[in-house]
Amino acid sequence: MITPFYILLGFGLLSIVLHRTALLKPFALTAFGIAGSVSFMTASADLKLFEIIVSSVLFAFILHEQEDITITQTLFLGASSMLLLESDSILSFVIAFESLSLISVILVSYVRTKDEVEGAVKMFIASALATGFLFLGLTFYLMGGGELQEALHPNATLFEMIGVFIMLLALFYKLTLVPFHGWAVDTYAKVSHTNAALLSGVAKTVAVVAVFKIFEPFLALHLSFAVPLFITVAVITMTFGNFLALFRKNIAEILAYSSVAHAGYMALAFVAVSSSYAQDGILYMAIAYIFMQSAAFLILDTLKKSYAIVSLDDLHGFAQQNPLLGALLSIQLFSLAGIPLLAGFLAKAVIFYAVVDSGLWWVALIALLNSALSVAYYAIIVKSIYFEDLKVKKLSLSNRTTAFTAQLILVAGTIFFGIFAGVIL
Amino acid sequence: MIAALFIFGPIVLAVLLALFLRGENVVSKYSALALFTGMLGFSLFLLQELPERGYLALGSFLEVSKFDFVLTLQVDMLSTIMLLLTSLLLILVTLSSWTMERQSLYFSLLIFFSGAIFGVFMSTNFLWFFIFWELTLIPMYFLVGVWGAQRRIYAAVKFFLYTHVASMFILLAFFLIYKESGLFDMSLVKEGMLLSPVLIWWLLFIGFAVKMPIFPFHTWLPDAHVEAPAPISVLLAGVLLKMGAYAMIRMVILMLPQTSQKYAWVLLLLGLVTLFYAAFMALYETHLKKMVAYSSISHMGLVVIALATLSYSGLSAALYEMIAHAFVIAPLFLIAGFFYHKTGSWQMQDMGGIMQKAPYISALFVIAGLGALGLPGTMGFIGELSVLLSSIKSFGLWMALVALASMLGAGYIIWTLRRVIYGEMSSVVAKTDFRMNRVEFFSLILFVFAIVFFGLFPNLLFEYINAAFMQFQSIGALQ
Repeated sequence: MITPFYILLGFGLLSIVLHRTALLKPFALTAFGIAGSVSFMTASADLKLFEIIVSSVLFAFILHEQEDITITQTLFLGASSMLLLESDSILSFVIAFESLSLISVILVSYVRTKDEVEGAVKMFIASALATGFLFLGLTFYLMGGGELQEALHPNATLFEMIGVFIMLLALFYKLTLVPFHGWAVDTYAKVSHTNAALLSGVAKTVAVVAVFKIFEPFLALHLSFAVPLFITVAVITMTFGNFLALFRKNIAEILAYSSVAHAGYMALAFVAVSSSYAQDGILYMAIAYIFMQSAAFLILDTLKKSYAIVSLDDLHGFAQQNPLLGALLSIQLFSLAGIPLLAGFLAKAVIFYAVVDSGLWWVALIALLNSALSVAYYAIIVKSIYFEDLKVKKLSLSNRTTAFTAQLILVAGTIFFGIFAGVIL
Repeated sequence: MIAALFIFGPIVLAVLLALFLRGENVVSKYSALALFTGMLGFSLFLLQELPERGYLALGSFLEVSKFDFVLTLQVDMLSTIMLLLTSLLLILVTLSSWTMERQSLYFSLLIFFSGAIFGVFMSTNFLWFFIFWELTLIPMYFLVGVWGAQRRIYAAVKFFLYTHVASMFILLAFFLIYKESGLFDMSLVKEGMLLSPVLIWWLLFIGFAVKMPIFPFHTWLPDAHVEAPAPISVLLAGVLLKMGAYAMIRMVILMLPQTSQKYAWVLLLLGLVTLFYAAFMALYETHLKKMVAYSSISHMGLVVIALATLSYSGLSAALYEMIAHAFVIAPLFLIAGFFYHKTGSWQMQDMGGIMQKAPYISALFVIAGLGALGLPGTMGFIGELSVLLSSIKSFGLWMALVALASMLGAGYIIWTLRRVIYGEMSSVVAKTDFRMNRVEFFSLILFVFAIVFFGLFPNLLFEYINAAFMQFQSIGALQ
């Protein structure tokens, strides 16, 4: 059967031939176009929308991207994302998960500056560790009587429980949950912004949805195990991410910490696993996040390349220089902050309601206050764009229409899912 | 359908205007004026159409069955009065910011705000109410941050954060209501359906208290008011604070009457503290606009005391006082801003003797000031008197001490008039040319006219205000 995975894999392999020709970009765009339509026709109902959205975000990403090698890698990343989303047994999940982290490591290992080396090495070590833990956990799980070719056993033995616990720890690395987040902040802030968009925007979001899909039936039956574990991790992660983001001056670092904080919000879906809204919550959060986070990092890429903007001070008065790009960035940041009529708000609303629905209103209160706190650093970026006096000097006049089109696609997603919740729920 | 158009139309229009117009383009100014006039007409139309009791349904949109997330638009007398007040103030604010810099963006933001605020007063679905409630912050953030005075950035960020944090309590309360009652509509939820009304009451109370603002949650207001440009201060005092009071009436007092009964003493106590604390602060201030801001908080204290009575007459008094406050405080803010604009100083000692240079504007300031201290014949008097009477009726004669605040009010207003308008002419004033744009002067006259007119004929307002609460008395939500 033709699945988006095979299409993207095939296009990815073929794309190598087209390097250094003008055909590569249209070729990759076609690949994601076809993958999206195949998802529309074949994917199961609960993942159909998300797969289409992953394809369209990667489509926008290709529009933005200029380097041949990254385009090919994006195709592979898309392929393994689709594989991961469609995995239904432990074996296929582990294989797809490892292929996704492998392609992520390859993505960052094409380094151009010294900073990127640091980010790449940290990511490599973290991935290696996570893989080790994942397989250790898997071993325990199999020793306890688990089957590779099936979904997780609901009625677990002690060894199976230990195995699942260790596997979850490994996955916490990938989902950048505190205390396994250390690599993520450096990697997201140091590698090129387009790679950071792929890693934090797409790869992490896909991983979170897949992990929820595989582990949800198991965790729902072991609430006394899952709920305290995830409450601790989620609360620490979001608080930590938000507080540290407050004190950063580098915009990429702020976004990196905000990405950690969002991992905390996503972990709330696991806290609320007994509620019927948890599934909707994580899906909504993933869809909103994939749009806003990718868009924010891609805009940052343009800012860095065209205006040499790195820190908050460089951004002063940017709205007078380029009002359109300033407005686009502000919209995405407000969405990340959870301001209404944008996807970020409804995503948070659904996921926080899931927590209230499972009876833990005080956890929801902590999350809400965290979300309110996070507005501080987003508002400060917006403040730099609009309220300060102009400081930036334009370097190059490379206003690329393709990159702008990419932003239009992403902002359309952010606004659409902020108003029309019925499409997801 | 038309109702939804008055919410989303302005928002879309604002985005288009902001995208395509630059600098001092006057198109957005005139579109704003036309739009707000249309909104006023629409509100008057609603007033005609309202049924005797209950809500007038205006349609529901964007239905999401799973979350009961529907944009239900309904209005009753209370929300229609708020819509009327809002659209009237928006028109006057447009006139009084006639010569604002960077007009195109300024009026786009004002148009955006008008859409969001209409959403607040028309939607009865909790989640959509919250969406519009939060959405009003965005234009305000930019209006304060771009057009404000020296410390505008600090004030804008503080205002945004402070009120946003408070909103989180409101959202949590809405979630709890939905979980416990299965309903997401404020016109349907009754207190009896809720399992934890006390928790919900406190969450809502804190959330709305920040917006009103009630002591000790008022600290964002002096900063925001002082740094905002004068017309925006008018909007803050006249619309944003009223939004808090409206929500307090509808969702705390009327939706949770029994719990409100239990905690009426909290409202009364905080109302009294707000009233006196702000009055003393106003007495102490030498910063002209801060003085006005504190007197504004003090008036909101009166509103809270009137709410604490939980009675029909108390709520009517509160609503009248809210309207009176909006009209009385607006010219004070506008003229204070004008004085600052001309003299370059906020300090009262730098002013003095303005009466000799600008007699007409000074006269308007004096009348508005007398309205603020509650002189008979102005709206302020009727407001204070009705609050006083209703609170004495509910709590006994000792509430006469509310009248003491009126005395303090007389103190700070008259002292301010003595220092700013009369007295020796200062050297700064002597050098200044106090000429005002005609349109802006016209808007001031309209404000002052309203203060006197509705002060002499309060029944024109009370007729509608009483109708707003009559229905709640008969269903037993009010004493």
